[in-house]
Amino acid sequence: MNQPEEPFTKFEQELTQAMRAVDPPDGFAERVMVRAQASEQPRAKVLAMPRGLPSWTIGAIAAALLLAVFFGEQTHLRHQREQAEFAQQQFELAMRITDRALEHTQQQLWNAGVRFGD
Amino acid sequence: MAIANDEFRRLIETHQRMVFSIALRVTGDYSTAEEVAQDVFLELYRSAERLENEDHIRYWLRRVSTHRAIDALRRKAVQPEAIAEEWVEEQHVREATESDVGMQARVEALLGTLPEPMRVAVVLRYQEEMAPDEIAQLLGQSVASVKSHLHHGLKLLRRKAAVTMKEYVREPA
Repeated sequence: MNQPEEPFTKFEQELTQAMRAVDPPDGFAERVMVRAQASEQPRAKVLAMPRGLPSWTIGAIAAALLLAVFFGEQTHLRHQREQAEFAQQQFELAMRITDRALEHTQQQLWNAGVRFGD
Repeated sequence: MAIANDEFRRLIETHQRMVFSIALRVTGDYSTAEEVAQDVFLELYRSAERLENEDHIRYWLRRVSTHRAIDALRRKAVQPEAIAEEWVEEQHVREATESDVGMQARVEALLGTLPEPMRVAVVLRYQEEMAPDEIAQLLGQSVASVKSHLHHGLKLLRRKAAVTMKEYVREPA
């Protein structure tokens, strides 16, 4: 029995000779380099706080952001309210014009002797 | 970047023969071997910072190459016959007369007929010239198991070589 620890037999020596490492296909290294560089995905830029800022600065920035959001929301609501009021005024004006037109038409019909509801 | 390009290229050029040869002899397929070898080096590209020195890199490459090649072989799901008795000698007598085929190609063809555990042990023993205890450590197996794979793998190879390669018919004294 051939123990692997023992010196190689003739067959094993021939096997070792026949099993020398072989070269990979031409251009192997280049192909690996291309894949490696392609795997370096450009990382998404994340908005991050610069390191070393004092904590009060971070708090002030957060408060400013909150105020900006609050006033932005208030401005948006006021704009919507103004638009609603303008629309209401337009509607009331249109109703008044319509009423006058109807009254005028009714008066002309009355003068012409047309009676409704008789 | 995980590692400088120049350093990475140097590592590829230094170790590509070893990595590719392990992959080729374990998988038995040229294109699969290149794919495995490329994947191994890409893994090295991402892991190189954790590797301490050249010996560590060499050991790491051997281990990862072997395991990735075994994975690829299993994915192919084409296993050779498990026992020597399944060897159909008549089928290979004709091949023995084709003397234009190189010794190395014949050995690789014979290796491809070995069951996976024997093949891996034989590749690491005779290509990488690793001792059985080193192979056991690399594969996470017991030394006894590795010795058994080597013994049976060698016996099977010798038997097959006796049929296909007249020059290998040299029984030990």
